[in-house]
Amino acid sequence: MELFFWAVLGLLSAGYFALAGYDYGAGMLLRFLGRDEAGRRRALGAVGPFFLGNEVWLVAAVGLLFGAFPRWESKVFAGAYLIVVVLLLGLVSFTAAVQLRSRRPDAGRGAWDGLITVGALVTTVCWGLFLGVLVRGLPADGPVPLADPYLAVWGLGFVALLLLHGATFLAVRGDAALAARARRIALRLVPVVAGFVAAVALWTGLSPSITSTVDSALPGPAVLGVAVLALAATFTGLLTRRPRLALPATMVLSALPVTLAGTLRFPDLVVSMDLYEAAAADATLDVLAVVTPPAVLLVALTQWLTWRWQRRPVDQRTLLHF
Amino acid sequence: MDSIDLARLQFATTTSFHFLFVLLTLGLVTMVTITQTRYALRGHEVLGRMTRFWGRLYVVNYALGIVTGIVMEFQFGLNWSGLSTYAGDIFGAPLAIETLVAFFLESTFLGLWIFGWGRMNKWLHLATIWIVMLTAYASAFWIMAANSFLQNPVGYREEGGVLRLAEFGALLTNPLFVNALPHVLGAALLTGGVFVVGVSAHHFLRRSDEVDFFARSMRTGVVVSTAGALVTVAFGVAQFPAVTRLQPDKLGTPATGSALGFMIMIGYFYFFAAPFALLFLPRLRIARARWLLRLMVWAIPLPFLAAILGWLVREIGRQPWLIYGKLTTADAATSLDPVHVAVSFVAFLLLFAALAVADWTLLSRLARRGPEPSVTPGV
Repeated sequence: MELFFWAVLGLLSAGYFALAGYDYGAGMLLRFLGRDEAGRRRALGAVGPFFLGNEVWLVAAVGLLFGAFPRWESKVFAGAYLIVVVLLLGLVSFTAAVQLRSRRPDAGRGAWDGLITVGALVTTVCWGLFLGVLVRGLPADGPVPLADPYLAVWGLGFVALLLLHGATFLAVRGDAALAARARRIALRLVPVVAGFVAAVALWTGLSPSITSTVDSALPGPAVLGVAVLALAATFTGLLTRRPRLALPATMVLSALPVTLAGTLRFPDLVVSMDLYEAAAADATLDVLAVVTPPAVLLVALTQWLTWRWQRRPVDQRTLLHF
Repeated sequence: MDSIDLARLQFATTTSFHFLFVLLTLGLVTMVTITQTRYALRGHEVLGRMTRFWGRLYVVNYALGIVTGIVMEFQFGLNWSGLSTYAGDIFGAPLAIETLVAFFLESTFLGLWIFGWGRMNKWLHLATIWIVMLTAYASAFWIMAANSFLQNPVGYREEGGVLRLAEFGALLTNPLFVNALPHVLGAALLTGGVFVVGVSAHHFLRRSDEVDFFARSMRTGVVVSTAGALVTVAFGVAQFPAVTRLQPDKLGTPATGSALGFMIMIGYFYFFAAPFALLFLPRLRIARARWLLRLMVWAIPLPFLAAILGWLVREIGRQPWLIYGKLTTADAATSLDPVHVAVSFVAFLLLFAALAVADWTLLSRLARRGPEPSVTPGV
């Protein structure tokens, strides 16, 4: 049962990064891609129909984390207090600004655009730091040390990763001009992301302070192998002007860091706390087991329907025009 | 001020902001659903325009409900790790169900509703707003169930210094839950109704041309406010026996006493005022009663005030316990550097205040501008 919920939690968090990841990427690119108001509207309009459905994966993941793994939840959030607080400030700014910026036709939008770009950037950097902390390993007690160049690699590398993801998404969903520009940006980002993957692989594999906490030699190389394949698929798809093939690959890439964090020390979650200590007792998990599968199925289904129904670009008639 | 006080202030501020937005969300989504259902059945164009106008205000308000809610969800783990360690097994269950079953679906279907306008089959589109409304109510249900456990812990068994779930059903028959839930839902209906009535009154005062539009809105609003006021007051009164039995000290402190008194005054005001306004509905006599219209505009903030007061009574009255009789607030707090807590409190406070002002300015501008002339493009 604990294993099942760990897998569902993994699915929800991987879904969050695969889907909301391109929201943040597109948000960071807003000023580069949309040089004028109409261009920015088109970039936001491409994300628009998916936006609400993407951000909720985080809420669902954290809710399940609280319900099924209460002791792990307080450990990771309180341990990385400052990172999580700054992350939330960025997330709140970004989420509110995207939804409110275009509500009045006659109003200035510069401040909202600034909030979108900065909010997306702060959110992305903090997620990179947070995932880096998890991969490096949380100490059993006390606060998490933050002054570590290893985390800087994660913070910056994650920005490159989500920029690539956002650009690839816009290369698929944008109109012709936007898509062409997004594709060029994405192509230039591929080597940067490859550098991030290589840096994390080498540093994680060679650092004795990290490897000494990892028992199994399997998860690290497996994740690296998938990352290399996904990078190759992304590059090929972009180069051959078939961004629809690249997008699933960047989705996988964006979900890999959290996958690595969740599997590297499995079944240990932090040093000195394993899955079974972190999880709620069976009575609680039994209750959650009734509601979780249908909810996840239904949401996956509506995600797919949204994708199918929104083939046409966003037009003036949509109520919430981004 | 130590880190516990700061963490409490931070949670209270976040929850207050969250409450202000979700209260109107619940009320407005009900109004929108009623209007769209009538539109689907009758097909009057004005009902369709009403759905869009009130729907847009609803969506603008919804945006801040989400973001304040996300912060609340994280704050349990950030500032109150003692709560999840000690009672996460029970308290976490309704919260997890709320996010998975209610909020997850609510947001996903709201996205479908917003972007399905004019693209989906009419009945399918109507079904999405019904799902949004029902899941919004389900959210309130599970959150109130979780909160009621803190007020009056039930259904647990103590095992090795932590609480384990013994009987899930007990959480849903908690005496401090069964009457509080309809009380809160009634308050949400009242808030949404009073908002629609106030905005409509404003347009009557300005002698807007959209007489039919705002007459229909006003009628729905007055009926919903009346129902909301009756439910709120009835289930407010019904809570007293259980509260005095299970939390005898709750209503005795000066802070809770005066907050309670003020809330009751506002409650009774609407209890009499809303049915009174019903008398002015036939033949649109209300449009000529300008003193009443002015009162309606000025009364928009009152339900929000009453809701915050009621929430303060419920939560301050629980102190010094986080879980009544089981876990003190002090024991539940994460041991943190007070500087970190202070910085994060100020940062969240400033950000929420700025966003709330921006959101309310936007709401009031959109409300005052009135509906789109006809089926011209929406922005």
